This record gives sequence, C-alpha cells and structure tokens, in this order.
Amino acid sequence: MTPEQLEKLESIERVREGYAELGYICSRQIATAIYVAGHLGKPVLVEGPAGVGKTELANTTAAYLDLPLIRLQCYEGLDEAKALYEWRYAKQLLYTQILRDKLGEVLGEAQGLKESMDRLHAHADVFFSERFLAPRPLLKALREPGGAVLLIDEVDKSDHEFEAFLLEILSEFQVSIPELGTIKAGRRPVVFLTSNNTREMSDALKRRCLHLYVPFPDAPLEREIIQARIPEIPRNLKYQLVSFVQQVRELDLKKQPSVSESIDWARVLLLLHADELEADMVRETLNVFLKFEEDIQSVDGELYGFTRQAKKADGARA
Amino acid sequence: MERTFTNFLSALRGAEIRVSVAETLDAMETARLMGWSDRQGLHDALSMALAKTPEEKTGFTRIFDEFFAFESFHDRRDGEETEENGQADGGDLLAMLEAGDRAALALAMQEAAVEVGVENIRFFTQRGLYTQRVLQQMGVEGVDAQIQAMGGQGGGGSAGQALQESRAWLFEQVRNYVEQQLSLQGAATSQELREDRLRRSRLGNLDRRDREQMRRIVEKICRRLVALHSRRRKMKNRGQLDIRRTMRRNYGNDGVLFELEWKKRKLDRPRVMAICDVSGSVASVARFLLQFLYELHELLHDIRSFAFSSYLIEVSEHFKDNIADEAADKVMQKVGYMPTDYGESLTNFRESFLADVDRNTTVIILGDARSNNTDPKAEYLKEMHERCKRLIWLNPEPPPLWGTGDSEMRRYRPYCDLLRECNTLNHLERVVNDLLETAQRAA
Repeated sequence: MTPEQLEKLESIERVREGYAELGYICSRQIATAIYVAGHLGKPVLVEGPAGVGKTELANTTAAYLDLPLIRLQCYEGLDEAKALYEWRYAKQLLYTQILRDKLGEVLGEAQGLKESMDRLHAHADVFFSERFLAPRPLLKALREPGGAVLLIDEVDKSDHEFEAFLLEILSEFQVSIPELGTIKAGRRPVVFLTSNNTREMSDALKRRCLHLYVPFPDAPLEREIIQARIPEIPRNLKYQLVSFVQQVRELDLKKQPSVSESIDWARVLLLLHADELEADMVRETLNVFLKFEEDIQSVDGELYGFTRQAKKADGARA
Repeated sequence: MERTFTNFLSALRGAEIRVSVAETLDAMETARLMGWSDRQGLHDALSMALAKTPEEKTGFTRIFDEFFAFESFHDRRDGEETEENGQADGGDLLAMLEAGDRAALALAMQEAAVEVGVENIRFFTQRGLYTQRVLQQMGVEGVDAQIQAMGGQGGGGSAGQALQESRAWLFEQVRNYVEQQLSLQGAATSQELREDRLRRSRLGNLDRRDREQMRRIVEKICRRLVALHSRRRKMKNRGQLDIRRTMRRNYGNDGVLFELEWKKRKLDRPRVMAICDVSGSVASVARFLLQFLYELHELLHDIRSFAFSSYLIEVSEHFKDNIADEAADKVMQKVGYMPTDYGESLTNFRESFLADVDRNTTVIILGDARSNNTDPKAEYLKEMHERCKRLIWLNPEPPPLWGTGDSEMRRYRPYCDLLRECNTLNHLERVVNDLLETAQRAA
C-alpha cells in the first residue's frame, strides 16, 4: 500500500464517506471489513445472497484506491491453466524453428559436443523466459507493480481442487511455476472472494480470510442506496418502494428480490412517471424484481395489503 | 488483556465456534488495530476474523455481549476506583459494605475471582465451592465475625440488620458472577461429556429429554460425514492415456505431444434404498433410525426410504417435505406400532419396488428380523441380494440373540453382504462411513 492509499483507509468513517462519493453506500460492517483488510493485508471472503453488491464492493474498492481491478470468474472445471498461467509451447516451438539459423551462428565455431553444449547453455534462459508465459488473472494480479484489486468471483462454483490451489496465493501471495520458480507479489493485492453459499467453503480457505457476511440491507440503508444510485427519485416513492420491497422479503419466495433488482424497479417506476405506489402499477411491474411465476403469484395475493402498508410507512414518517 | 482474550476465545469454543491458532493471531492483530474503545467496531472486526458462517456469527454476538458486559461495567467505574490491592482484608470489605460502595465491591470481587481462578470452573457442582472461595478471598470472615459480634451484643439493631443485608447482597452478586463464568467456560466441557455419553448409550434407553440433544448429535455426525464424503474426486493423471483428447489438445503444438490427457473417472455417490422396521418390537429404536434416515436424505442425493411393520410403504416424500420430528411422527402414525410381518413386507417391496433395484443400488435394512412366526419369505431377500450391489442389514439386537425365539436372522443372514449390530449412534456412524467409503472405492 502506498502512503496515499493508507491515508484513504485511515479511519472507518473515511472509508464510508469515500465509498459513498463513488455511489456505494456501505454498512458499518462493510466499512470495517475494508479498513481491517487494508491494514492487515488479508483477503476478504464476502458471502451473502445474490445481488447485495458483493461484486460491486470490489469494483468500488478498485476505483477508490485507484488500482486496476483484475477479475477471475470461477466455474466448474476452472483449472490453473486458466486461472494462473499457461506455458506457450507452440510459441516456444515456433521460435526455436525460426531461430534455427541463428543457432548455427551461435554454435558456429564451437568444436565438439561439449563446447557446443556450454555455449548453448549460456543462452538457455532465452528458451525458458517469461516471454513464453501467458499470464492469467492470478499471475497478473501478483505481478502488477503498483498492486491491484483481485476479485475471485463466485468461488463456490469452482472445484475443491481449485480451492486448495488458491491457498498458497491467499496466505503467502506467491505462486510456484515449475519452469521459472516462485513468483512473489511485489505489492500485495487486495483480494476479495465472493460466494453465494451454494456450497460450504473449506475450513482451510476460511481460516485464511476475513469473513464478511452481507445480508439484505435494512430499510434506511436501502433508501440511502437507492438515493445514491437514482438521485432524481421522488422522496415519497423512495420510501414506499423500499417499504414494499422489505415486506416482500418477509415472504417465503423462491428468489428474494435483491438490491440491484429494487434499483431496477425504481428506475422502471421513474420511467413510468410514478410519484406514488399504486396497486395496479405494482402488479404490472412485479416481473421486474420477481423472476419466478410462483413468486409473482404469491406476492400478487398480498398486493393490496403491502401497498397500503407501504403508504402508511410513508405517512408515519411525514 | 491477553488473559481476557484467551478466556474469550475459550468461551467461543464452548459455543461451538471453531477458532484455530492462526485465527487467534489474526484476532489479536485486529483487536490491536481497532483498539478497545469502540465496542461495536471491535465486535464487527472480531466477528469477521473469528466467526465464519452466519450461524457462528449469531453465536459470536451472544458470547461477545455476555463476555464483555462485565468488562464495560468495570470500565465505566474507572474514575471512582478507590482500592488497588487485590487482597482486601475483612476491615476494607466491612468498610465497603457499610458505605454501600458497589463499584468498589464489584472491582474487589473481580480481583478476588482472578486470584482464585474462577475461569477454571467446569461443572455446576463447583458453583458453591467457587462462590465460597471468592468470598473468602474478599475477606468475608471479618464481616461475619462483626455480624456475630453485633448480634451477640443483642443491641445490634438496625446497623447489624443493614450489614447482614449487605452481606446477603454480596453473596448474591458473587454467586451470579460465578454462574456467569460457568455458563461461559463450563459449557464446553459438560457438552462434550453429555455428547459422549449419548453417543455410547443404547438408542432404546434414551430419555425423552435427551431427544433434542440427540437430534443435534445426529445432525453433527451427518454434517461431518457430508464434509468427508461429498467431494466427487476425479481420478486424474493416472491410469489410461486418452489418445483422442491428447491429440486434440496438442493440435496447436504441431502435433508434438507436449501435454497428455488421461482418462478420467468420476466417482459418484451411491444410490441407496433404506428399509426401516418401525414395528412395536423396535419402536424405541425406530425413531432414531428414522431420524438418521432423514439426515441421510441430506447427505445422499439419491436415496429412497421405506418403512414397514405389517406392510411396507415408501416414505421418501415425508422426509423431503417435513422437518425431522414431524416426518418421524407421520411415518410412525402410518405404519408404526403394528405387529411385524417380514414376509408380507418383503412381498410388498418385491411387487412395487424391486424393479428399481439395480446393480448400483445399495439396500440397507434396519430391523430385528422378528417376524412373529410368519413365513419370512427369505427367497425374496435372496432375489434382492442378487439384483443389488450390496445388501446391508443393521440389527438393533446384539448377535447372541439373533435366531432365538421368532427371530429369523439366521435365515436372512446368507443374503446379507454385511450384517452388523447397530444400537448406538457410534455404530450408526461407523456403518454409514463404511458405506460411503466402499462405495467410493468400488465405483
């Protein structure tokens, strides 16, 4: 971390304000996580339901600290050739073919096998150099001279083998490459791992990370988020919409509406020039934040009650 | 400070939050970074370093609140501290009691508690002992003597009364404090003891009140089994060379075979059909067997369960839709407590479900094989045995009783690939472990 970046992380309040300026409203827990992670140089494992801004957190951190964001999307079957580096045999082979004539020059006057070998040996590094290394996200993040924000997205989708492979990088910030030796990070990257909890991560991985659980935001925080994302939204609508979404989250749904979806919904309502929630309009736009037919039906049953309650919440404030 | 911290960690471990040494170090660093003044901030930061699942976070918050409640009380009174030395003698205590200086008393109590090592308390039977020790350390004898003296004079009157009340108050406080320590520190040990006992005692002998506890243990065992066995290992880099894929992979290298591809085998989890006897003779065990089946449903993705007494029905649906206890109740209502008829039940199974048994299926039968002298129809079991990969029979009775009375175990025995006595949780665990391991090896 440069002094400049450390200054940006000087206190929890400062982090909160800085993020808010970039349009990311974080709860106290999130700000604390960034603060601690920045100072201790530990990776953060971010868990929570889909769409609460886990990936966005890494994006914002990169923007805030003015570091490049390097993203690795995990999926089943992801292996180190795609995550870390690949050795370009073909290129190496091609170069050797093309340079065959030059080899003749190098070895030109050499007498006997031993001398040729020695001469060739002096040039051995040419054949095994980083030129033939195709860096993938993890290696890129380690070699970034000014540091980087490394986002390992949806790590729960990767295989167990890959999870184990991550351990060396997460604890030592170094990787071993057989052809070249060990590569150590010049400056430690800020690492975020996100997980949707589709499977339990191993203890070994958890032990190396700080664990941040991001739940759905409570009403005041969600209002702030919507305000930050859509500044032109009418105050009334904002209060009612948030109250409505919070009520919907109380139901047993297949998929709960996420923050990003309530932002989308707010945009849609704004586009329709709504100043207040009306039951009919809500019914027509339910599919913006509910993605299953069963969910839409179960909310539809509660529609009038929810709308009334939402308006009341607004009234109580006024 | 470090001592407080270690005590806190051991309290966390008592609440089943796993804290490794590495995490301890992280937590110390975090605490140093955050400082001790911002309570909420410290809570958030420590919870990140120590508690790593949502459940653990809830537990963490509870312990944090309980543990640091007293500390903060102590901090608030910092300014009023009147007494520094830990070894208060009777005179000081007397003065404090008479003055009613509760802050100073609390401080003295805490110091006395550290002196006698209250954090070593483990069992509730030690409460009285530690309470007495703390009181003695604080110098309660002097006070008692004073009370006695005042009472002896006969004219102790209101002063003696007041002192006696204060002493009673002090006793309350100390006992509360000791109990709080017990609930923080002792929980771990007594929990372990109880679990160990429950795991080893016979399923039939357990009390109703142990049931909840039992359920938790079953859950725990199953969760561990899941962690151990849910991996689908790919057999890589060994065995046969996969020529086709090797060629394709190396097109880019001008056909020079730089990278080799091996034939991969994926190991699948076993298909299981579990048949559980819920008749009167095994009723006491049946509930737990059902409970275990229920948890197994979470563990194995391809499992079907059946229950029988006089006849047999499939109960997989109940397990999928209900929570554990309800599921067991429903099953017991439908087929439970009736006289057993193994012959009839096997016939039912053969008619309706035998078609689904194939070479990949493992059949587990839980039952005592006591068939009330009806025709056991062993030939049907033989048929099952021939079709399935493995037939495992778990009998709640100990081996010497097999084949006595109306037990048909001896006639069934030849058709079981594995026959085990199974009447404690430990047995169950071992069997399931076996099942999963061999399934992985054989696949």
